[in-house]
Amino acid sequence: MTLETNYSAAAEPEETESWFARNRSAIVRHSVINLFALIILLPLCWVLLMSVKSLPDAMRGDFWPKHFDFTHYPYVFERIATLPVNLFNSIYVTAATVLITTICAVLAGYALVHIRPLGAGLVVTALLVSLYFPVRVVSIISIYETQHWLGLINNTSGLILPYITLQLAISILIMRSMFQLVPHEMFESARIDGAGHWRALWEVGLPMVRNGLVVIFIVNFVAAWGEYLLCLTLVDDEAKRTMPVVLAAAQGGQGQWSWPNLAAVYVIVVTPGIIAFTFAQKLFFKGLLEGALKG
Amino acid sequence: MTQAIAPGEIDLGASAAGDQIGLVRKGVSEWLFLAPALVFFIGYQVWPIFRVLWLSFTDFQFLSDKPARWVWFDNYAHALSDPLMWTSLGRAALFTMMFLPGTIILPLLLAILVDRVTNQRLATLYRVILLIPAVIPSTLIFVLWKWMYNYQSGPINHLLVDTFGLFTLQNAPQWLGGTALTLPSIAVMEVWWGLGYHTIFFIAGLAAIPKELPDAARIDGASEWQVFWHVTRPQLAPIMMILVVLRFGTAMAVIDEYLIFGGFNRASPTYTWTIFMYDQAFKLGLWRQGYAAAIGMIGAVAMMFVMVILLRIFRPKG
Repeated sequence: MTLETNYSAAAEPEETESWFARNRSAIVRHSVINLFALIILLPLCWVLLMSVKSLPDAMRGDFWPKHFDFTHYPYVFERIATLPVNLFNSIYVTAATVLITTICAVLAGYALVHIRPLGAGLVVTALLVSLYFPVRVVSIISIYETQHWLGLINNTSGLILPYITLQLAISILIMRSMFQLVPHEMFESARIDGAGHWRALWEVGLPMVRNGLVVIFIVNFVAAWGEYLLCLTLVDDEAKRTMPVVLAAAQGGQGQWSWPNLAAVYVIVVTPGIIAFTFAQKLFFKGLLEGALKG
Repeated sequence: MTQAIAPGEIDLGASAAGDQIGLVRKGVSEWLFLAPALVFFIGYQVWPIFRVLWLSFTDFQFLSDKPARWVWFDNYAHALSDPLMWTSLGRAALFTMMFLPGTIILPLLLAILVDRVTNQRLATLYRVILLIPAVIPSTLIFVLWKWMYNYQSGPINHLLVDTFGLFTLQNAPQWLGGTALTLPSIAVMEVWWGLGYHTIFFIAGLAAIPKELPDAARIDGASEWQVFWHVTRPQLAPIMMILVVLRFGTAMAVIDEYLIFGGFNRASPTYTWTIFMYDQAFKLGLWRQGYAAAIGMIGAVAMMFVMVILLRIFRPKG
């Protein structure tokens, strides 16, 4: 890694020694952090390289390929029949989930702090308890029944309903702690000026909770984009399933799922999230520190 | 609690004092903002739990035409007398014990190191790299590691066999697929996944500690270890408690990983109470969901019981 160059400033031998002696704890510190960073990055680099390896290189298994081959990307779109459909399913379900959950969480967070209807405390308690109870696992039995009753078995759009609740409780609690940072008077003065709750929330509230929005956006994206259990249970047809479930079932190494092809699909599915996060990381960290940790 | 005075109170005084209809309308409009969230929360979180609780007292089979009969505690008695129930709970506990220490101690160590990085840009870079796994969705983490651990083509075995020559193709370790190594392999994967996210939690906790506290201890001649143990650790106790309890919960209720890496082989160490429940509810016979519901409830209650104990142990003193 390039970071190593920071402290390999080579000078004359005796001076190097004293430099090392003076900075020993810093060197150890950075080495350990870099070691962990390397452990995190290596598997990801391996997949990235695998997706551009020629087939013989992929079989050999060496880390760095002898020949690069970038044709796997067009190949997977043209030759794996269900791939574009699965990808579309994932995008569609995730976008709907993130949008609806965010709206629900913002409204609820605002209401819990600045409207405080009777019984708000009970709602907060229920949300907190749901974080500690293994709801996702136990509820699957009843969710199957509900979806069956609604005629949503084997229906991609039907997944959106249970997906919304995957991270709903934590999203509401994050928005709640974000709204607690906004002084009550700001909303009151807006409303004395004639704005209703809606406008007060839209014009005064939203800009103030921007960092929290980034956090719940990412949290819900990650949850919906990678969901497995519900999609596996509620949807049977491969063409109606989302990308992760198809990837998890793919028998690597055979036919259309040769290793480089699988890697190419993997990179396509993982990259958007990582890029979005890298751009939003500053807001994400701020939001995480302001809201998530208190929630 | 001055906050408890709702802004709506002002409306009440001005417009509809003592007016019953106005009061009701005010109540409805107040709940309007909570309604969308509550519809989903109740429909897909609260109702299913109570429905499953109810089912656990019946002999409901999803694919059967017969109406469900109320059988009181038959399902529970049946499950508790089945050795598989206890084995599967034990396996979940075993996995939790492999996973929990690493996922608390390593991030704590890393957080202390990253917290001392003074170069701001380098600190940001470290945080971003550490958090990358946290923004990769769960299933894609599992797919990645299914690959890492692959017996023939995985890079880990490639390193062990071809690069270092520690094993041959015949006796290379079988990381996944229901062997004794499966649970530790999954635990390593989970620690890798949560490493950065938990580190950020601890960094936030460290940032909240006033710098005078450790400095004063150092001036008094305390060693770095003593500073950590007597100053830093107590300050981090609340975060530690939340992480221990939450991660205990996720570890005990793991299911996707076991479905992907282990399947439905009853002898596999991945056949825990969650898989046992899923197997009964969606795979075997006529889908004995009444029985499955009881298994799920036993697992959940056992889990919550230990969580309460953990809350008491790790509760910050004073």
